[in-house]
This record gives sequence, structure tokens and C-alpha cells, in this order.
Amino acid sequence: MMLARVAESLYWLGRYAERAEHVARLAGVMLNATLDRTDAADQATGIALAAVGGGSTLDPGDAMEAARALVLDREGPVSVVNSLASARENARQIREQITTESWERLNLLYLRATGTAAESAFASDAPDFLQRIIADLHQFKGAAEATMSHGEGWRFMLTGVYIERAQLMARLLKACFGGAVAVDDHVALVSLLRMACALEPYLRAFTADINARYILEFLMFDEDFPRSIRFSTERIQELLTHLSAGRDLGRHDPLRLAGRLNASLTYADLDEVESGGAGELLAAVSAECEAVHAAIYEAFVAYPLEMRLPA
Amino acid sequence: MFAPGGMTRANYRLLDQDIRALGAEALADRQKTLERSFLLQGITFTVYGAGNATERIIPTDLFPRIIPASEWATIESGLIQRLTALNLFLADIYGEQRILNDGIVPRDLVMGSPAYRRQMQYLFVPNGAYVNVCGSDLIRGQDGTFFVLEDNLRVPSGVSYMLANRDAARRTFPHTFREAGVRPVERYPDLLLSTLKSMADQTRSNPQIVVLTPGVYNSAYYEHAYLARLMGVPLVEGRDLTVHDNRVYMRTTAGLRRVDVIYRRVDDDFIDPLAFRLDSSLGVAGLFNAYRSGQVTICNAPGTGVADDKAVYAYVPSIIRYYLDQDPILPNVKTFLCREPAQLSHVLANLDQLVVKAVGASGGYGMLVGPHATQAERDTFAEALRADPCNYVAQPTIQLSTAPCLVDGKIEPRHVDLRPFILSGEKVVVTPGALTRVALRRGSLVVNSSQGGGSKDTWVLADRHSEAETP
Repeated sequence: MMLARVAESLYWLGRYAERAEHVARLAGVMLNATLDRTDAADQATGIALAAVGGGSTLDPGDAMEAARALVLDREGPVSVVNSLASARENARQIREQITTESWERLNLLYLRATGTAAESAFASDAPDFLQRIIADLHQFKGAAEATMSHGEGWRFMLTGVYIERAQLMARLLKACFGGAVAVDDHVALVSLLRMACALEPYLRAFTADINARYILEFLMFDEDFPRSIRFSTERIQELLTHLSAGRDLGRHDPLRLAGRLNASLTYADLDEVESGGAGELLAAVSAECEAVHAAIYEAFVAYPLEMRLPA
Repeated sequence: MFAPGGMTRANYRLLDQDIRALGAEALADRQKTLERSFLLQGITFTVYGAGNATERIIPTDLFPRIIPASEWATIESGLIQRLTALNLFLADIYGEQRILNDGIVPRDLVMGSPAYRRQMQYLFVPNGAYVNVCGSDLIRGQDGTFFVLEDNLRVPSGVSYMLANRDAARRTFPHTFREAGVRPVERYPDLLLSTLKSMADQTRSNPQIVVLTPGVYNSAYYEHAYLARLMGVPLVEGRDLTVHDNRVYMRTTAGLRRVDVIYRRVDDDFIDPLAFRLDSSLGVAGLFNAYRSGQVTICNAPGTGVADDKAVYAYVPSIIRYYLDQDPILPNVKTFLCREPAQLSHVLANLDQLVVKAVGASGGYGMLVGPHATQAERDTFAEALRADPCNYVAQPTIQLSTAPCLVDGKIEPRHVDLRPFILSGEKVVVTPGALTRVALRRGSLVVNSSQGGGSKDTWVLADRHSEAETP
């Protein structure tokens, strides 16, 4: 039992922290790719910009400026500083619910990324700046994992993390494999693996055989890799099983939707996905995540009061 | 810290040694560490300026102020006496009004006060405790006597700084802290929780306590979250609560859950748009009716401001005598009521030596410090005084005592006051410690944080040994 508003803030804290980490990684890989041949860099930049959502007005020709905007632009809806500020604002609203250890990590990270020195630090050594942000976010997650009670609040936060992650991965994969022409260039595929933080785990699973089919299989269906879509949907189902235990959530049961989503990945026919293109399944994942999100709100946060008054 | 003649007072001797041993550089380092730790913890208040709101830490001074046991004993018994009398006064005002009928306090002063809440009339609160949390402002006169300058009976704040300052000072002077025998303040959240529990309907077996905050944009939000966290109770906003059948519920992930006691950090006017200000969106519609019906307790009770009014203040010694038949242990500062024609003419004749305060204002606003004002400022104020004398009181300018502070790497005296915290539920308790507020500008007498004040830790010593002054 916890305040509905608190559950909501924890959920968004999880989502924003995840988003900040993902976008920071995209920007880092993008910059790294510019060190190689130019057409690969363009491709990597194209993937990254497509993956952060439509309507992006950033110029793929200028990777450095695009990366700067993705990271530091306070106006950019998905920029890293914006996500960090939102994560921190959510944490501040529920300051008494999270441990001092985790709060201080997040607050420090926020102060550093939004401080006056951030612009010059980014300009002088962007890869280092981004690496530190990602490392700091890992520290925050680690501190939270090690010090917070793994009860209801923790589960709401993790639900936010995994819903966000599933959606981000679906969008990233869609940018590569959803269109008419799938990415098959070696350097671009390696960039993709880096953007998913998957290069080393992938190599261990498939050796250095960089192959679009295997990559798609790995990032969508791998059981153990923490950024595969299936890994996320399985966690979402688990978390919601706990969260809705002993409650009658009626027709807005988020667990039913999460279970259906997870089943569609667990029992997907790989050949079918491959022949029909992954786009359809990826679009379905995005839509289902939206539906789970809405159902969570309906069940735990924004329920109509008449339904819950004591008899 | 120093007695006349430059000798170190006994209670400061250990600290003095420690400071000398550390040296200026180490002190500056520790000051920096302290400020960083406050920023990191988010112990900040928000300043709204052009464009962006920025978060700032409240300036904190490293050196603790030290109060010997005997002085504290007087303060403690004086505060208990005073709050006991003020609670009796409030119960009387919102009941039979004997004290008004007997002519001890003028009726129009009370009934005409903007803080008087008609809605509270004949509403009786558990334990007769209208004020559950009180933060009185004390000052130390030149002869060492403590005076009460102000009773804060509405929504007093600052207690989180008392606790945070303690944490910092203990880390800065671990040796002195251990040796000096400082009484702990860390039990405050604990005591607050039991005070609040004692205010619940006693038929409820496991009362649900909550802290009600105006939200994250309030300048004291840090404190609200801090207290909720240390008490282990939910921090709620108005939108989390709902009233049904005169019962208050909070919206949880598992449906609605009953609330028994609300420690509200929202002003009277904003707690219930149906009972008080219609345009408030911070409160809960129907809350006051639920309170009237006894299904929930609001702490502090609405309407307590009628007893900390700057004009009623002048009557507190009589109030203590009236209800307790005792002489006040802590004296008031001499106060002239401008509503009395004789006192008004005295005030007008001596404006250059007096501090004039508007009755309803607080936070260091709406006041004239006579000796520091220009003739033009005094003339404007004199006009306002003649136009509306009931709205003003005047007090002699008191030389606040000073304490050594670290300012730009140098140790300098700054004026200080003292805000101890008193809790009242089933019984009245004073936490042995206080927030010492510091006027950071040299020579300034204004300690309010909204006017550039800072704070420092306050150590209350446990025993009475070695009180003599030594060279």
C-alpha cells in the first residue's frame, strides 16, 4: 500500500532514468562512429536520430552538433539533461520514499549535468562526459538496488524502467529493421549493438559473426540479455504479478495485457518474423507497451473514486 | 562565547581549544565540505528570480553555540509554562471566553484579529492541545537573561536545520562534541510522532498519521519530506486526500485508506476551500467538516495564530498569571501597544529608539528599526501609525547577543537569536537544542532566512560542572 501519487512518481523516475541512459549511449556511439568512414558515421547518426523519435529536426550531417543537442539541449524533449531533470524532479517529490544514498547519487548527477561547467566539459571531451553520466546512472541504480526496500515502490520504479526500455529498444530496432531497406553494413551493425549496450554479450553468444538476422534475434528474443525486448516484457509481467496480487483490478487489468505481450515474444516464430519483416511485431510491442502503461494508470493511479469507496 | 574582559566562558573552553588547533585553513575546508554536503542532500530552499528558480542552501555556520545546563533549565521550564498557558488561552477563546469576559485581554483585540477563526468556536481538540508544534523565538539580553521575542504557534519551521546542523557540527568538532556532554536532539522525529499519535481519536487502534505539504515548490519542502521520512509516515499533498462521509482518506495504489491525524504544513487559509479560502487548491474540500465531526485531527489546530499576534503577545504575562497563577519564568520584551493613546504618543516621540512592527506581519517584513532608519522613513511610518494605531506595536531596540561566526575565512561576531522547539500533545516536551539563527550581515539585527539570515547548531550541555569562568 502506498500513495498513488508516489507510485506514479517512482514509475516515472524509473522511466526517465532509463531514457537518460539510453539517449546518452546513443549520443556516445554516434560520436564514436564519426571517427570512422564518413558514410558509416552518417548511417549511425541516422539510426540514432530515428531511434529518438520522429519529428527530429537535428541535422544528421553534423554529428557533433546533433549529439550536443541530444545531450544538453534543455528544449529537446528527449535530451539527456531534460530526462535527468525530470527524474530528479520526480525523486524530489517523493524524497521521503527513496533512500538518502540513492537520492544523493541522482542529485549529484543532476547538478553535474545541468551545472554551468557542463557545456565546456562536453565540448572538451564529449565521450568522457557521456561515459560519466552513464556510470553515474549505474551508480544510482546500484545504490537504489542495494539500499531501497524491494517492495511495492521498488516494483513501480522497475516497471517504469522496463516499460521504457522495451519501448526504446523497439524504436531502435524499428529504425534499423522496420523500413524497406534493413541495415546490413558491418560498421552500422556494430554501432547498433553498441547502442543497445549489447556488443560483448552478443559476441559471447554468436562469436564475431556480425549478422543482421542474429542481431535481431538476440535483441528481441534473448532470454538472459537485460536489454532484449523479451527480457523486459518478462520482467514487466513478473512485476505486475506482484503488484496486482490480491487485488481485483477488473477489466483494466494491466497484468493480462503484460502477459499477452510477453507471450507474443516468448512464442514468436522467428522465421515468420524474418520473412514478414520485424516491423509489424515491433509496432505491436510499442502499442502494447502503451496499453500496459494506460492500464497501470487506470488500475493504480487514476482510478475513479466511486469504485474504491469503503462499503 | 567571551565574558566581559575577554575571558573564554567555561562552556566554550573546549571549543576554543579545538578552533585554535584547527587553524584557519582547515576551518575553511570544513566549511566547504559542509556546504557541499548540504547541497548534495538537497537541504535547499528555492529562490524565485528573473526567469529561472534556483536552489540555494541556507548559509550555515560551523561554530556551535553552547548553552550551559543551568541556563537551559530556565528556558525549558519557561517554555513549558508559556505553551501550557497559551493552550489554555486558546481553549478559552474558542470556548467560553472567560478571559475576555473578565477583561484581562481586550475582546476586540482577539475577536478582531485576522487570525481568529470563527469556524473553531466550540470545537474542542484532544488534550486541549491547540498548538502541538511551537517554535518560540528567544533572545539573550546583555545581562544574560533570555526574553521571549515571539511565539510561533501557526506552522513553525526550521527544525530540520536544527537536525542537519547537529549532524554537521558533530562531524566538524568530534572531539569537543564527545567531551562536552551535549544533549541529543535526534529524538525529535520520535517525539513528534508520539505527540501526533496522542492527538488521534483514542478508539482507533493504529492511527494513520500523515504530513500535509503544499508541495515541492514550497520553500520548506525539504523539511516536510525530511520529517515524513524520519517519522516513517506518508507525505501527502491536498490532491492525495479526499473526504467522504466526514472521513478523510488518502488515495493509495490499493484504493482509499483512512487518515487519522494530519500534521499540516499548510497555512490555515489554504487547508479547506469550503471552510476558508475558496481559491485554494492546496487543501482538501470538506476537511474542516471532518475535523469538526471528530473523525480526523488537524495539527496545529486552525486559528492558533490568534495567540501569537504581536499585540496579544503583550498580554502573555497576564495570560500566564490568569490561568496558572504563576509569574512568568521567561520575561517578555517591553512592548508598547499603539492602540493605547498614551503609549502611542510615547512611541511617536521616541521613534528613533524603537522598533515598530505591524501586528499581522511576520518574517521581518513591515517593520521599522528606528535607530537605523532615515528621518523620511520614520516620518512615513509615523503617519501610518497615526492612521491605524491598532495595527502597530513598538519595542525598544534590543542589542541581540552575538556569537562568533566564520565569515570569509575570518572569525567575527554576528547577532543571533534562539528558536527552540516545543511539542505539546498529552504532555509538553522541549527538545534540548534549538535553531540558532544568525544575522549574517555585520551589525544587522534581522535573522530571518528570507532576509539573508543563516543558522548554526546549538549545544545544550548535560551537566552543571565547571560553570565558573576561567582565563
